[in-house]
Amino acid sequence: MENKRTYTTEEILSSQVYDEPLIANDVRCHGGFDSEGIYQSPRTLFRTPAIQAWQNQLAEEGAALIEIAPNLMPPQYPSAEQAKLLLRNGIREPLVRTLTIISIVEGFGAMIRDVKIPDLDELIVEPIEGTALHHLGQGLFEAHARDESGYRDEGGHKQMWEAARDAALENPNIPGDVLMRLMGRRGSAQRPGPAFPEIGEAAERMLGFMSNVLVVEVIAERTFRWGIDVLSDPEISAAPEVAGNMVRNIQADEKPHVEYLRTALSEVAARTLNTVDGKTIPGKTVIDGLLHRTLSQMIRNRPGDQRDDIREGLKQAMQAAQNPAALQDDFDALEPVWTAPAKTGFEPAALGA
Amino acid sequence: MKLGARILRSVKVGWTASLVFGMYKIPSWGRRLRGIEIEPEELSPTHLRAAARILALALDLRGVMIKMCQAIATRADIFPKEFIEELKQCHDAVPPKDFETVRRVVESELGKPLDAVFSDFGETPIASASLAQVHRARLLDGREVAVKVQYPDIESIIRTDLANMRRVCRIYEFFDPQPLPLLPLLEELTRHLGMELDFVREADCADRVRELFADDPQVKIPEIYRDWSTTRVLTMELVGGIKITEKQEIEDAGLEPAAVLQNLMYIYVRMILAAGFFQADPHPGNLFVTSTGEVIVLDFGLSKELPEGFGLGLFELMFSLMTFNESAMVRAFTELGFRSKTGDTGTFVAIARRMVSRSDTGAFEGEFTEDMTDELFEAIRQDPVAEVPSDFVLVARVFSLLSGIAHSLGSRANVLQAMSGGGPNG
Repeated sequence: MENKRTYTTEEILSSQVYDEPLIANDVRCHGGFDSEGIYQSPRTLFRTPAIQAWQNQLAEEGAALIEIAPNLMPPQYPSAEQAKLLLRNGIREPLVRTLTIISIVEGFGAMIRDVKIPDLDELIVEPIEGTALHHLGQGLFEAHARDESGYRDEGGHKQMWEAARDAALENPNIPGDVLMRLMGRRGSAQRPGPAFPEIGEAAERMLGFMSNVLVVEVIAERTFRWGIDVLSDPEISAAPEVAGNMVRNIQADEKPHVEYLRTALSEVAARTLNTVDGKTIPGKTVIDGLLHRTLSQMIRNRPGDQRDDIREGLKQAMQAAQNPAALQDDFDALEPVWTAPAKTGFEPAALGA
Repeated sequence: MKLGARILRSVKVGWTASLVFGMYKIPSWGRRLRGIEIEPEELSPTHLRAAARILALALDLRGVMIKMCQAIATRADIFPKEFIEELKQCHDAVPPKDFETVRRVVESELGKPLDAVFSDFGETPIASASLAQVHRARLLDGREVAVKVQYPDIESIIRTDLANMRRVCRIYEFFDPQPLPLLPLLEELTRHLGMELDFVREADCADRVRELFADDPQVKIPEIYRDWSTTRVLTMELVGGIKITEKQEIEDAGLEPAAVLQNLMYIYVRMILAAGFFQADPHPGNLFVTSTGEVIVLDFGLSKELPEGFGLGLFELMFSLMTFNESAMVRAFTELGFRSKTGDTGTFVAIARRMVSRSDTGAFEGEFTEDMTDELFEAIRQDPVAEVPSDFVLVARVFSLLSGIAHSLGSRANVLQAMSGGGPNG
């Protein structure tokens, strides 16, 4: 199977036979355990070797895999230490809200199956047979969607985050403002116009969306570490092992997402794209441009806005503590420090020089 | 309202009720004597005749009867589809009252002559409906306003009509061994009419929604001028725009219909799912778009507060429909307040299957189309569902109306995409 680079949709969606299913909070979830009790992610029977084969092919072609630098990741807010401090002081609502929002956002990952894929043979000059790109509409997007939202009676990451929350915090009441916080304020920000109109609307939308999801998936790594740290702390979690392992399982499931997305985008970057006016443009120009735009927007602007919103809610929640002022001081002392790097690493040539 | 007029209205309501009752019961007694069961599909012509008779009564008596027909037309979960189709035609437009009547109401309510408040007051209304009519006017300081004026005798008419209908419903329930739940529907209508007749409440609702979108430049809720508003007169900022279903005009203004729809969906999803408080009447006459793309929402007479957790419950239902996760679906239906008569939760799954089967793609992708909503309510009506939360019915109707608007604009009213900020292709 090592050299196999073309798979059917059914193969990409296939799972191992598990010795034991994953049941979380009475909900049957995807994935399961092998005979040694090791968690096996769903739909990875062929997907994992396939991604490896496509990455090997890229290496053979001398093309680099896209790397997003870890220092571009802003810290989770509130930090794990701040979240634990709140829980030790009986302030549970912010954590319940955060975990619920994470679960819903994970569920929205299912929308990747709705991405309209343009005619890639027409868009890309070089052949794409036997690449990740060729398989986007043949199982990769669908597998990703099913992993995030669940599929039929198997829960996905949405239900797994809920299970981790409910196990650790003993089925807490969900704050009524969760969806309001999730939707946030849209303010006056306008959707940015096309960055590469020459490749056509459908192509830019798909590549832009994939770039966005890749960045979100990479950023999610710090959310997993945060979730494991908080939910497996026996001092504040009612089920440290169950809840912590649940987040570890989600973390494991997300790895194929990061890998197939960066493989497919790297394949585009290593190729040439046809433009709508009959010319060509290097794929690297397009992918670097889209990643630069996404990273600049998501890392430099959003964390600040979101942090301010969350902080306002936390200040209100801390009023319920016995000594709100002291708690606020202790909380502020644990404030995570992070400075956005000056460069994203994907600057267009003129800026990046 | 004079006694003679009250008696005449009562007689007309009673006569129509007797005719409708007879249409169903006389043939059924006859067939029962011959030992023949009536199949539901055989009743279709009777449903049509009965609905036509009720529609004729509403168009004759107007007022609350129009509202009653409109309420029936939204309850496909209770009434046969022939009733829904026939009574959907019951529009709210009625001949306006003469200007002298309007002047008397405004002056009496504001406690001043008309020209002490307005420098100009249009004698011809710009809109008239079953409870009130709207006039264009100008305040003394020059601001252009719309003045909504309640008909002077409407409360008395409503009281009479509601009493008549309550009597009819009780008699019907007495005679029919398996009656439709008409009295609860009437109680709901009474509550809604009470809300719509209180213009101070309407002003409060408009202010509440405006506050929800205070920092959002893409939404416009007209200002209410409280100094010149009472329970029966509502004076508000006059705003103008393109009717939201006019796709060509929207394009001619340089706007993208899909972006307008996305804005509209965001507004309703934020109101319903996130805030739990919403304007529940998004018909095209209440929604406009400005040349800069702001969506204008008018008429907060029928605004509704949802129970705590309803938005999250609805989201979970839609999410479970999208993934077709049956256990999550049953949980969501139950948490929203649905109850099956037999206790068999499989009923909900069967209903969901029928609803989803009516979507264009055979899957639920986040849009409640009119076809899907109709199918949902038809399935509920046929299946043994004992309790359907009225809030759900109202919300489903709102999403179905939005879906109709979306189709006029050549787009889709995807609730889940609006919630998540647009989706991959938006």
